[in-house]
Amino acid sequence: MTFPIKEKGHRHRVVFKRRRMPGTNPPSSSASASSTLDRALSSDPQDLHQQPGFVIEELPSGDEGLDFLSGGLGHPVAMATSAAMIPDLFTTPPCIRDPLNTGTSQLQDETIQECLPYLSGAEYGLEYNAQGVPHLDRKRHIPFLHKSLRNLPAPYVVADASRPWMFYWALTGLYAMGEDITQYRDRLISTVRPIQNATGGFGGGNGQMSHLAPTYAITLSLAMVGGEEALDLIDRKAMWKWLGALKQSNGAFQMSIGGEEDVRGAYCAVVLISILGLPLELSPESPSWSPEHTTLLSGLPEWVAKCQTFEGGISGKPDAESHGAYAFCALACLCILGDPRAIIPKYLDVPRLISWLSARQYAPEGGFAGRTNKLVDGCYSHWVGGCWPLLEACLEGPSPSHSSSESYSIKKPALEALGRSLYSREGLIRYILCCCQDETKRGGLRDKPSHNSDSYHTCYVLAGLSSAQHKWHFNATGNPMEAGLTRSSAYQWTSEKVVEDSQIYDEEDRVRTLHPVFVIPEGAAEEARAHFSSKEAF
Amino acid sequence: MAPKAPKAPKAQPKAPDPPEEYPTISAKLQAEYLASRPYQVLKDTKGLSNLSASEKAAYANYRFLETGVWKTWGAAQQKEFLKTVETQKIPTPLPLPRDLGRDNKGREIASYTPEGFAQFRKKERQLSGLRRESARFRERREKARRKQKGRGIEDSEGEIEDERNRRKFIGVLQGKKMGIYEGDPRWDDVVPIPQDDGEGALAAIAYSDEYAEAMGYLRAVMAAKEHSPRVLDLTEHIISMNAAHYTVWLYRASTLFALEYPIDKELSWVNEVALENQKNYQIWHHRQLLIDTLYPTISSDPTAIHALETSERDFMTQMFDQDAKNYHVWSYRQYLVRKLNLFNTTELQSIEVLLRSDVRNNSAWSHRFFVVFSDPAYCTPGSAATAHDPRIPADIADREIGFAKAATFEAPQNQSPWNYIRGVLRKAGRELASLEAFAEEFVKLPSESGEGEDVRSSHALDFLADVWAEKDETAKADTALRLLGDKYDRIRRNYWEWRRGLLDAGVEGKMKGLSVEDVS
Repeated sequence: MTFPIKEKGHRHRVVFKRRRMPGTNPPSSSASASSTLDRALSSDPQDLHQQPGFVIEELPSGDEGLDFLSGGLGHPVAMATSAAMIPDLFTTPPCIRDPLNTGTSQLQDETIQECLPYLSGAEYGLEYNAQGVPHLDRKRHIPFLHKSLRNLPAPYVVADASRPWMFYWALTGLYAMGEDITQYRDRLISTVRPIQNATGGFGGGNGQMSHLAPTYAITLSLAMVGGEEALDLIDRKAMWKWLGALKQSNGAFQMSIGGEEDVRGAYCAVVLISILGLPLELSPESPSWSPEHTTLLSGLPEWVAKCQTFEGGISGKPDAESHGAYAFCALACLCILGDPRAIIPKYLDVPRLISWLSARQYAPEGGFAGRTNKLVDGCYSHWVGGCWPLLEACLEGPSPSHSSSESYSIKKPALEALGRSLYSREGLIRYILCCCQDETKRGGLRDKPSHNSDSYHTCYVLAGLSSAQHKWHFNATGNPMEAGLTRSSAYQWTSEKVVEDSQIYDEEDRVRTLHPVFVIPEGAAEEARAHFSSKEAF
Repeated sequence: MAPKAPKAPKAQPKAPDPPEEYPTISAKLQAEYLASRPYQVLKDTKGLSNLSASEKAAYANYRFLETGVWKTWGAAQQKEFLKTVETQKIPTPLPLPRDLGRDNKGREIASYTPEGFAQFRKKERQLSGLRRESARFRERREKARRKQKGRGIEDSEGEIEDERNRRKFIGVLQGKKMGIYEGDPRWDDVVPIPQDDGEGALAAIAYSDEYAEAMGYLRAVMAAKEHSPRVLDLTEHIISMNAAHYTVWLYRASTLFALEYPIDKELSWVNEVALENQKNYQIWHHRQLLIDTLYPTISSDPTAIHALETSERDFMTQMFDQDAKNYHVWSYRQYLVRKLNLFNTTELQSIEVLLRSDVRNNSAWSHRFFVVFSDPAYCTPGSAATAHDPRIPADIADREIGFAKAATFEAPQNQSPWNYIRGVLRKAGRELASLEAFAEEFVKLPSESGEGEDVRSSHALDFLADVWAEKDETAKADTALRLLGDKYDRIRRNYWEWRRGLLDAGVEGKMKGLSVEDVS
C-alpha cells in the first residue's frame, strides 16, 4: 500500500536552499570508466552548471568544545521530525562529526543535505510507501533504457569508443526490470558483427582496436540475448590468440595491445575464457610465454593479490588506492578461478577486506562510496554491493582446507543470525529507491540526486538493488580445491529471495536476479558455457 | 496581304523581354518556349479554320520545322524550304524546357528568378572549371606518386596552397563546405573507409560530418599502417573531438615512436589536453608510454631526471588543484615514483602539502603509504601491502605512526589516518595494542552504571575492539563492538555483530594469521 506523505514536508525544519554553485560541481566519485559518459549522457550540457547546491549554515566555529560529540548538535542541519516509519538512522546526520572543515567534509556535508529530503520522505514529487520508500518507477526507467539503444545525437561522440557498454547496460537493466530482451537479438547481432576484429576481440566500434572492455560487454550481451547465431558469431580461436597477446609475464592482462594493465583486464579476460570455454594453454606466440608461464592464468591470482592495499581494499593495479569498482573485479575474477571459500582467503586478507568494504556504507545516505572519504554514488550499489555475495560465500559453507577449518565452521552461525548479510540491505535499498531514481519524466537511475541519470548508473544501481533483494548461495560440490582446477565454480551459484517481516519495499519493486560473477541474467552464462563446451576444440 | 501576313503576327509574341516580369526562370523559359512557336499559338487561339492562308502556310512550315520532316527532303527542296522560313520569319522552335531539378539545398531550380538562375549557371560553369582543374591536379599527383612509389611527391607548397584554395572555393560555390581532409591535397592519396555500422545498429551515434570524415581517414591510415607526421595531426584532431578514444591514442603513440618525435614536445601538448579532460583514462596511459620511451635516453643524466621529476610534479600539482583525488593522476604518480625512483623527501613533502590542505584526502594517504613502504632502499621487494615486512626500520615506522597520530588529533573521525596506522603497524609487525593508549584518547567506555561514556571517533572504538580482542579482553572488546552497532556506526551493525561473533569464537586472531601467512 502506498500513500503520499509528501504533504507532510512542511513539518521538517530542513533548511536547505537550492542554488547554483558556479563552477563548483562536486567531482564525480564514480568509476572513471563512466565519467566521460556521465557527461555525455546528460542530455543538457547546461546541466553541468546547474547542479543544485545546498546552502549550509555556518558551522559553529570557535572552540572545539564537545559539540561535535553529541549527535546532531552543532550540525548545520537539524531534522526536526521525520516520518515515524523511517528509522532515524536515515534521517539524521551522523552522530560523530569533527569540527574541522576541509574540502572533503564540505562535499560530504553537502551530499548529506542533498540526500536527506529524499530519505526522509520529504521530497516533493515522490510517492512514498508506508516505510517511507518510493516505488521503483519502472514505467519511466524502462523507456529510458530502450531509448538509450535508439539513435543517439552528436554529443554522444565522446561515447564512440565505449558504445558496446551501452548495449550491455541497457540489456542488463531492462532484463532486471522484467523486459524481454531477446527482442534485440537480431539488431545486436548485426550491430556487433562489424565491431569484431579478425585478429580477435571487439573494439569500441567498427575499425577500432580490440579492447577487453567492449569485448566483455559484447560477449555478455550476446550471451544475454542468447541463441546459436549470437554466440557463434564470436571468433573464439582469434579471441584466444588475442588474449594470449594481452597476457603479461607478470600475470596481468593489458586492456588492449599496448594498453593499460589493471584489474578490469584480469576480470574481463577470465570472464571471456570461462564463458567461451577457451583453452587455458598460452599460445607460444604470446610475448609472455616462458617455460614457467604456459597458461593464460599463470600468475594471475598472484597479481590480483598484489592489488590489495594496506587499507584492505583493492586497487586498480599494485601500488594504487583501494577502490570499490576494482574490488568487485578482483573478487569476481578470483571466483571464476576457483571456489570462493578457498581462493579468496588464499590470495586476499579477508578480514581487512571485509572491514574496508563495510566502511564504504554510510549513514544517513545508506548507499556505498567507492573509496575512503569519498562520496556515496549509486553505481557502487553494484561494485561494492556486488562484493558481498562473493565474500559471504567465502565465509559460509564447509571448510575449504584443513588449516582454516576451525575458523570457517564457526563463522556460519554468526552470519545466519545477521539475516545472512554483512551489510545493511535496508540502507542500500533506501538509498537506491529514495535517492537514485530520476523523479522527472526523464527516468533512469543516477549517482545521487544532483546528477543526471544515465544508462551506466541505471544498470549498476539496478544490479545493486537485485543483489540487495536476493541471497546467493554457492553450491559447493566436492573438494573446493578441486573445483578451482576445473574452473566450474562460477557456475555453481543459485539465488533465493530475501524475504523479511519488515520488508521496506513492496513486492512489485523486486527486480530479477543477475549472476553474482558475470552480472547477466541468471542462467545466461550457464547456457553460453554449455553451448561452447559442446563444441570441438578449434 | 497573304505574303506579308506571317510577318505581322510574328512580331507580336516575341515582345522585348523585360526580365523582371518573369517571377521565375521556369515562367521565363515557358514564355520563351511559346514565343518560339507563334504559329502554334495562333492556331491554338484562333483555330486552324480561322487562320488566313499565309498564316496557314506559315503554320505548315513551322510544323515541318518542329517535326524535322524537312531534313528528309532533297537538298534543293531543303534549301528552298529554309529560304521560305527565313522570309516568313518563322523562328526556330525551342525545345520544351526540361526539368531543372533541385539545388543542393533541395530547392526547385525552376523557382529561381531569372537573374538568380543566371548566377546559378555562372557558378555551375565556374565549378565545373574548378573541378576539372582539381581533377587534373589529382591526376598529376597520382602519377607522380606511382612513379615514386608513394614517398615524397615534390609539389611546390604554392601549388598545394592553390589547390587547397581551389577546393575551398569549390566548397563555397557548391554551398557545402568540403571536408577538412577531402579539401586538403596532402590527403589525396588516402581513400577514407566509411564506418560499417551494420543494419539497424543499436545506439548509433549521429556523428558530426567533421568527426565522421576524420574517422574515415583514421581507419584508412590504420589499415595501411601509415605512421607519418600527418597522422599526428589527424589523431590530434580526433582527440580534440573525443579524448576518450583509446584507439586514436594508441595509434598516435605508435606513430610518435615510429617517427622518433620529440617526447618533451608531446608531453607539453598532453598537459593541455589533460587539463581540459580531467577524467580521461587514456591520457595517463599515453603519458606513461612517453615516459617509458624517454627514460632510457636520460637515465644516466641526473640533471635531466631531476628536471623531469620537477616538471611532472608541477603538472600533477596543477591537476590536483582541480581534483586532488583524481585516481588516474595518482596511479600515474605511483608509476612515476617507481620509474624515476622518487622515494624521497621531496615526494613526501609534496604529499604533505596536499594533506595540510585536506587531511581527509585518502588518495594522498594512500600514496604516502606506497612511497614509504615500497622504498627499495629498505623494503623487501614484493612484500604485500597487508603483510609484515621485517626489514622496515623502526624509526621509519615510528615516524609514520607519529605523522598519522598528529593527523588523527586534528580530526579524530577521519578514517584515513586510522587505516594508515593499522597499515603501518601491520608492516612493522607491531601489535595494535602498542597504540592502545593513543586510541583511548578518543574513547571512554561507560562505567558499569553507564556513565562517563565519551566517544569522539568510531574508528578509535573499532581499533580498540581489535586491541582488546588481541589482548583477550573479550568483554571490553564486546562492549566496543556493541557501542559501534548500537550507536556510533549503526549502518554497519551487521558487520559489528559479525565481529562480535568472531570474538565469542576467539577466531579473529587466527583468521588474521591465516591470511597474512598465505599472502606473503
